[in-house]
Amino acid sequence: MQGPAIGFEHVSLALGGAQILQDVNFTVAAGEIHCLIGPNGGGKTSLVRALLGQVPHTGRISIAWRDGETIGYVPQGLDFDKTLPVTISDFMALVFQKRRPAFIGLSNRNRALADAALDRVGLLGKRRAKLGSLSGGERQRVLFAQALIPPPALLVLDEPMTSMDEVGGERFEQIIDEVSAEGVTVLWIAHDLAQVRAMADTVTCVNRTILFSGPPAEVLADFNAEVLFSAAALARATAS
Amino acid sequence: MSNLYEWVRESLMALAYEGTLPVAFQYGFVINALLCALLIGPVLGGVGTMVVTKRMAFFSQAIGNAAMTGVAIGVLLGESYTEPYVSMFGFCVLFGLLLNYTKGRTKLSADTLIGVFLSISLAVGASLLLFVSARVNTHILEAVLFGSVLTVSDIDMNVLLVVTLAIAALGIPLFNRLLLASFNPSLAEVRGVRVQLLEYVFVVMITLLTVACLKIVGAVLVEALLLIPAAAARNLIGSMRGFVFWSMAISTVSCIAGVLIPMQLDLPIPSGGAIIMVAASIFVLTTFIRITVSRFREA
Repeated sequence: MQGPAIGFEHVSLALGGAQILQDVNFTVAAGEIHCLIGPNGGGKTSLVRALLGQVPHTGRISIAWRDGETIGYVPQGLDFDKTLPVTISDFMALVFQKRRPAFIGLSNRNRALADAALDRVGLLGKRRAKLGSLSGGERQRVLFAQALIPPPALLVLDEPMTSMDEVGGERFEQIIDEVSAEGVTVLWIAHDLAQVRAMADTVTCVNRTILFSGPPAEVLADFNAEVLFSAAALARATAS
Repeated sequence: MSNLYEWVRESLMALAYEGTLPVAFQYGFVINALLCALLIGPVLGGVGTMVVTKRMAFFSQAIGNAAMTGVAIGVLLGESYTEPYVSMFGFCVLFGLLLNYTKGRTKLSADTLIGVFLSISLAVGASLLLFVSARVNTHILEAVLFGSVLTVSDIDMNVLLVVTLAIAALGIPLFNRLLLASFNPSLAEVRGVRVQLLEYVFVVMITLLTVACLKIVGAVLVEALLLIPAAAARNLIGSMRGFVFWSMAISTVSCIAGVLIPMQLDLPIPSGGAIIMVAASIFVLTTFIRITVSRFREA
């Protein structure tokens, strides 16, 4: 399998009178791990939402899909009542089971798929645990598991490591390596520069527009986390 | 359908005269009310779990209040004051759709906006009802507000049957998609869920159910039957399966007991009030169990 290439051409986005993205141009090569970095509020999530077709934008975003290919999406988190009696298996049914309602349970085929994905993220033993009783990192792993069903050609990750525990982080990196080896294109909003340096093929820095894009060894040589998270420091660093 | 209802009524009444069933079953209107209870119990219980999950409890209250306005408009327009369904369905569906439309287009939080709509519907409904009360028997208005087993007709049962079947036909296959958006709308959209369209579908489902249940439970109390069984089930249950099935069971038992107990004990209280008091008693019991029995504390 070879995941799709993605092209952003002159993409601009304004919401509520504020310019979120301005003339964004970059490409994501087929099958690469491409990290998006930048300060909070710099437009990374908006860029991903534009890619997913969820916000109106100008310019052109192209995805070179082949027949039957799908997208796996790991959002930043879930917004729900933590006391709800919804188990991990129930949630998996809500996400990817089409017609059979979650309260009837997963079909045998779907249970096998869900169990395999949960096993991959190390949560099979907790499949009957309530979603609300999990730690933030564990919930993030559940979100990662659902993105693997059906096997995606493009995996979009929106800051999946924000509340990830150490075990989850290691599993996460391992699975990213595995899916990348299978040819999946990975577009990943990341905060940890050490992780980006270690895993990304290409990194793009977004702060309303593209500040730089290229292999981490080249473009991140002079950057540290402090610069990345401070919009002012980032502006100074990229200007110099 | 009337022949079927008649056959059921006559069969059960015969069993009551033989002494096989309680004396209350000698009355056709009690059997009508029980048939309705068997229809609305499971549906209200099931839809209630969706209302709780989607955090739309306040919304269903607003629809209940809007139904009062619908009744008053029906009387003003000359509809039958015992069955003003065209006005009730028409006004409530419009009200629900307008509320949902406005929710997506203002910066107000959902609970604030629903509170505003709820207040408007209550004020307009109360004013119009008092205005038309001179034209109709006041007991008709009481029946709309609090439910009355005496006023259930074959038409009411037909309406309820059609609405409950439609809601089951929509709600079961759309259950996962209707709920996923309440966890993360972006994820739902990536999964192919038409989030906005399904919000409207759910609003129409709640509206139709609320209006169809008015004769038994009443406009003021129908929202309680969407919430209390689900809340009672949630006290003891840790999975979606238990949540839905226990909520359906509690709702059904409440409806049947709420119809039968006032008849058996000769209590002059409306069916809606009795149904909610039974449901509330079950809620109190499950809350007590949750507090006192350690294995339920983590449910």
